[in-house]
Amino acid sequence: MIQFFGKSAELQLEKDVSTRYLPVVISAMIFLAALSIGGLFSLSKAISDWSETLTGNLTVEIAFDPTADLDKKVTDAVELLSATPGVAAARAIEQEETLKLLEPFLGKNAALGELPVPRLIEVIIAEDSAIDLAALNKKLVEAVPAARLDIHRPWLDKMVLLGRSIQLLAAGIMLLIGCVTVIIVIFAVRTGLIMHSEVIQVLHLIGARDNYIAEQFQNYFSRLSFLGALPGLIVAIIVMFIFNFLVSSLEASMLPPLSVGIEGAIALLLLPVLVALLTKYTVRQVVLKSLRRMM
Amino acid sequence: MVRFENVGMRYGLGPEVLRDISFNLLPGSFHFLTGPTGAGKSSLLKLLALSHRPSRGLITLFNKEVSSLARDDLPAMRRKIGVVYQDFRLLDHLSALDNVALPLKLAGAKNDQIYQHVAELLEWVGLGRQVDAKPPTLSGGEKQRVAIARAVINRPQLLIADEPTGSMDAEMGLRLMYLLQELNKIGTTVVVATHDLELISRFGNPVMYLKDGLLTTRAQDNPPPKESKDPA
Ligand SMILES: Nc1ncnc2c1ncn2[C@@H]1O[C@H](COP(=O)(O)OP(=O)(O)OP(=O)(O)O)[C@@H](O)[C@H]1O
Ligand SMILES: [Mg+2]
Repeated sequence: MIQFFGKSAELQLEKDVSTRYLPVVISAMIFLAALSIGGLFSLSKAISDWSETLTGNLTVEIAFDPTADLDKKVTDAVELLSATPGVAAARAIEQEETLKLLEPFLGKNAALGELPVPRLIEVIIAEDSAIDLAALNKKLVEAVPAARLDIHRPWLDKMVLLGRSIQLLAAGIMLLIGCVTVIIVIFAVRTGLIMHSEVIQVLHLIGARDNYIAEQFQNYFSRLSFLGALPGLIVAIIVMFIFNFLVSSLEASMLPPLSVGIEGAIALLLLPVLVALLTKYTVRQVVLKSLRRMM
Repeated sequence: MVRFENVGMRYGLGPEVLRDISFNLLPGSFHFLTGPTGAGKSSLLKLLALSHRPSRGLITLFNKEVSSLARDDLPAMRRKIGVVYQDFRLLDHLSALDNVALPLKLAGAKNDQIYQHVAELLEWVGLGRQVDAKPPTLSGGEKQRVAIARAVINRPQLLIADEPTGSMDAEMGLRLMYLLQELNKIGTTVVVATHDLELISRFGNPVMYLKDGLLTTRAQDNPPPKESKDPA
C-alpha cells in the first residue's frame, strides 16, 4: 500500500513529521463530506418520492347531492378524465369500497345512499407526462360542476422546496469542504517545499525536470489524502447506519431513514478517490509554481 | 562551447558582483579560475552551471544563447554539465552510491547499468568502503570526492569544479586533478576554480584571474572572433 502511489525517492517526504497531521484533517473533512453526500442523496430520493405522490396519483371528488344523478356525473367525469392526454387511467371507486374506507368511522351497517358520502375517482397520471393540473381541474369543473380535483399540492410544494433548500445547503457545505481541503493541502505542500528546498535545488541543478520533482510531491500527498479519507468515510457510513437504526426504532418518526441509493453509494465510494485527485492536482500546481521561480 | 559577452550579475537588488565579463572557452579546453576570496568565482560558475541568470549580457552555452532557451530545454542542458560545488551539495539521506548514481537516474539510465558503473568510480576515488555511507558521516575530503564522482559520472561535456581539492591532502588532490585531466582528454571542457597557485603552476593550464567582479586576465587561447561551429 505504501508503495502504491510511488515513493519519493530523493525527497524522502515519507520521513517528514510535519505532514503527518494531514491525513487526520483530511479524515475529518471526508467525514463531513460523506454526511453531506448522505443527506444530499437521501433528500433527493425523498423529494422525488414526494414529487411522485404529487403527480402520480390524484383523486377526484364529486360532492354528495341527493337531488342529482351522481352515477351519471361519475361516468361523465371518468370519460373526460380518460380522454385527457397524460392520464393513464381513471377509475371510479365503488361506493362499497368508499364505505369500507369509512367503516372505522361510521360503523358497519351504514346505509348506502343515505349518507352524504362523496363519490371518488382515482386518477393515475402517466409517467413522465407534464400535465397541467390546474387546467384539468378547470375543465373538470366546467363539465361536471360538483367535481373537484384534489391536489395535495400546496403542502407538498413546501416540502419539496424545503428539501431543495437543504440540498443546496449540503452542496454549499461540500463546496466549503473542498475549498478548506485545498487550502490545507496548499499549506502542507508549502511547508514541504521549504523543508526540502536544498534537495529540490540540487535535483534541479543536476537536471531533474519540474515534472520529476512535482511527481514525488503529488504522489506522496495524494497517498496521504487517500489513506486519510478511508477512516473518515468508514466512520461516516457507520454513523449513517446508526442514524437509520435509531430512526427505524422510533416508530412514528417524521424523519425518513437515510437512503442514498446507488448513485449516492457510488458518490461515497468515489470520495477518497476524488480527494486524492484533488490533492494531486493542487500539489502539482503549487510545486510547479514554486519551481518556476527557479531558473 | 562557452561564450560570455559583457556579462554582469547581481544577487537580488544588491550590487553587481560580476561586471563586464567576456571570454570564450573552446571545446576541450581546461581553464583555471582564480582570484581573491569574494572576487566572484563561485558566482561566475553559477552562471556556467545554469543555476543563476545574468543580470545583463549574453551567455552562450553549447551554441545556444541561454536567455532564449525555453524552460523545458534547461534540464537537458544541465545534464551535459557536471558541477562540483564548493559546499558539495550532496543529499544527506542518500548513500554515497545513490548520490553518485543520481545524475544517471535522472537521465533515465537503467538501474542494473548504473550501479556497477558507480561502484567502480567510487572505488577509483578511494571510497570503495564508503559506498553505503551517508554524507553526514563522511569527512570533508570524502564528501568532496563523492561530489566529484557525481559531477563526472555521466561524462559531461562541460565540467565545472569550485575548489574541488580544497578539503583534501595534496596527494588525493592531485589524483582527482588527474581524473579531471583524463576527462578533459576525452573531450570534456573543464573549468576549475581554485586558490591553490601551486596546483595551477603544476598543471600549466590557462588561467582566468578574477578580481572585484572583473576578469583581468582573459583566457589565453582566445579564438579568432568568428568561431567555427562547435563540435560539441
Ligand atoms: N547568495 C548570495 N547572495 C548575495 N550575495 C552573494 C551570494 N553569494 C555570494 N554573494 C556575494 O558575491 C560576491 C562574490 O561571491 P563568490 O561566492 O562568487 O566569491 P568567490 O570568489 O567564490 O569567493 P571564495 O573564494 O571565498 O569562494 C561576494 O561579495 C559575496 O558576498
Ligand atoms: Mg567560491
